[in-house]
Amino acid sequence: MSGSVRSTAGELTAWTAVRVVAGREIAVKLRDRAFIGSTVFMLLLVTAATVIPVLLSQQTPALRIAVQGAAAAQVVDLAAALGEQAKESDSAVPPTLALLGAGGLPAADVTSVEVEPGGDVQRLVLDGDVVAAVVGDELDGLRVLGAQGVPSEVDVLVRAAATQLQIAHAAQDGALTDAQVQALTSPAPPAVELLDARPTGSVPPELLVIVFAFLFYLSVLTFGMSIAQSVVEEKQSRVVELLVAALPVRWLLAGKVLGNTVMAVGQIVVILGAGLLGAMVGGQGEVLRQVIGASGWFVLFFVLGFVMLACLWAVAGSLASRVEDLQSTTVIMQVLVIVPFFAAVFAIDPGPTQRVLSYIPFTAPLLMPARVVLGNAAAWEPVVAALGVLVTAVLFVLLGARLYEGSVLHTTSRLKAVQAWRGATR
Amino acid sequence: MDDVLELRAVTRTFGQRTALDAVSFAVRPGRTTGFVGANGAGKTTAMRIVLGVLAADSGEVTLGGDPLTLPVRRRFGYMPEERGLYPKMAIADQLVYLGRVHGLSRADARTRTAALLEQLGLADRSRDLLHTLSLGNQQRVQVAAALVHDPVLLVLDEPFSGLDPLAIDAMGELLRSRAADGVPVLFSSHQLDLVERLCDDVVIIDDGRVVAAGEAGAVRSGSADRRIRLVVEPHATSDATFPTGVVGASVLSHQGDGWVVALAAGADDQALLAAAQAHGVVREFSPVVPTLAEIFREVVR
Repeated sequence: MSGSVRSTAGELTAWTAVRVVAGREIAVKLRDRAFIGSTVFMLLLVTAATVIPVLLSQQTPALRIAVQGAAAAQVVDLAAALGEQAKESDSAVPPTLALLGAGGLPAADVTSVEVEPGGDVQRLVLDGDVVAAVVGDELDGLRVLGAQGVPSEVDVLVRAAATQLQIAHAAQDGALTDAQVQALTSPAPPAVELLDARPTGSVPPELLVIVFAFLFYLSVLTFGMSIAQSVVEEKQSRVVELLVAALPVRWLLAGKVLGNTVMAVGQIVVILGAGLLGAMVGGQGEVLRQVIGASGWFVLFFVLGFVMLACLWAVAGSLASRVEDLQSTTVIMQVLVIVPFFAAVFAIDPGPTQRVLSYIPFTAPLLMPARVVLGNAAAWEPVVAALGVLVTAVLFVLLGARLYEGSVLHTTSRLKAVQAWRGATR
Repeated sequence: MDDVLELRAVTRTFGQRTALDAVSFAVRPGRTTGFVGANGAGKTTAMRIVLGVLAADSGEVTLGGDPLTLPVRRRFGYMPEERGLYPKMAIADQLVYLGRVHGLSRADARTRTAALLEQLGLADRSRDLLHTLSLGNQQRVQVAAALVHDPVLLVLDEPFSGLDPLAIDAMGELLRSRAADGVPVLFSSHQLDLVERLCDDVVIIDDGRVVAAGEAGAVRSGSADRRIRLVVEPHATSDATFPTGVVGASVLSHQGDGWVVALAAGADDQALLAAAQAHGVVREFSPVVPTLAEIFREVVR
């Protein structure tokens, strides 16, 4: 048996070695409870974020309204009709805007409950049998009763119905034609024309940008930390001496970066996928198209941006000699991630700042995909920015590899980057 | 397979300090070589240079006459002084991983791991995390890590430290069986009695310089002084000045009728015997081979 083993031992290509090292990183991550926990948590968060608004916006409220008096009955009937009508043309106007009275009317299933004259309407409202009551025999003397408050849908619908009826009566008294009455009760709204139209989506693009930026930030921070930890764990447990006796240090570094990049991108793709699935189930086709359009650039910038910083994270790990040192050796890296994140969030509005930041390699992965989503980037711009990030990534990988080589075997104390630079020449 | 590992004039400095000064010695296949020296004498540095973990400033290391390259070094088995494996990884997993890092295919690494764990009596613990094992068992896993890829050379830094007497015997047995398979085995130890018992060859290093190297027996008997142990019952007429008449002889100790006499290089032991017979009835006249510990103290002093 040993003969056959000996024939294979020692022959190891760089790619096999990198794959073996990356494979260990991935296997360790897949068994890491913190990693599984955070992935599940983010999945739940994203699913909730996409599904809940959909459920909320699609649920038409069912409202029971008590009615007392002839005019009240007339108004509530019309309000029910208006609510029904709004349901059919729901997609045209966001419910929030409708509630403000800015556009059409809110959709609602209004049921009226007749109360005999003299019946205790107040009791019904206070007991919660109905959400509100409309009382009155005259159109201009209606009262709307609520317990602690009146649901905004009821308020808006009843108000609109009463107004329409009063205008109609007044118009009839003034002997206007049907067309004139129609113009009075349903005036034609001004047509809105966008001169610099953005891609339309039911989710504001700014929100998508912030979600992208946050995902990138979270991912780089957690996986960067995990690269640094994996490096220092090997230093602290001294296993690195065994590994370095068998592998060039660069292969080891490449394997670590590859393994963690695969996991980071995998996690992001799974989370984005869950979000898209949620949106699809929720019927937000618009969001889907919008995200898929931008996700190519997002993933590309994500990979480049992640690799750019990954080797430096490994250096931060190898400058430490114990896990306890990581806090101090990773400070610079944390700053390199947090500052661009906040810069990107503050530069969310299109403008010269955003344009400049979208070319700086640290903020480009956050802002250039954002500009693509917002539609204010020319076709060549993301390509140029991606090349910029790529060049920086190559430089950082070379720098990181040298510092890592210079420090990974120094197991006794914390190092400074300068010492690591000098150490690599030995 | 029968390749000699040779260090020739290997020098290494750390800043102002010379850790190794033109160190040369050979580790022969089929033999165990003990590497002896005080703390800081340069044992670990020399071993790290053999493994390529450190680079030598000058000098060369060859196996079978060829300079060491990474693919050759990858087939070495190494047990670093500071033990190191992944504390939170199942022991079978890390042995397979280390086997693969040393160039085994996945299938071979698995087969070898299973066989080694069986051999070391750890087969039922293969799924356990390393840090849940006792220190003795962790040490066994460390040995398995050095052996998993069936190395062509074994380098072990202090393999006996922290082992109980039974484990020491097992480790010694293991080293000897590896050597018997034709693998050169180099190990360092502070426990000179162990080195004396287990080693075919000895290398003594002091302050970065090799002060003695070669077959253990030759190193011991070839020390600067020959020593003779004598028991002589003096004649009634003898004076008490024995053995002052012998050129190059000096008394190391004298107790009753017993002497231990050191003979300088070139001194004639037969002259000493004649003087002893003149002095009295010789009951015992035997060369004393100093223990390694004695030689060590002598050369290191």
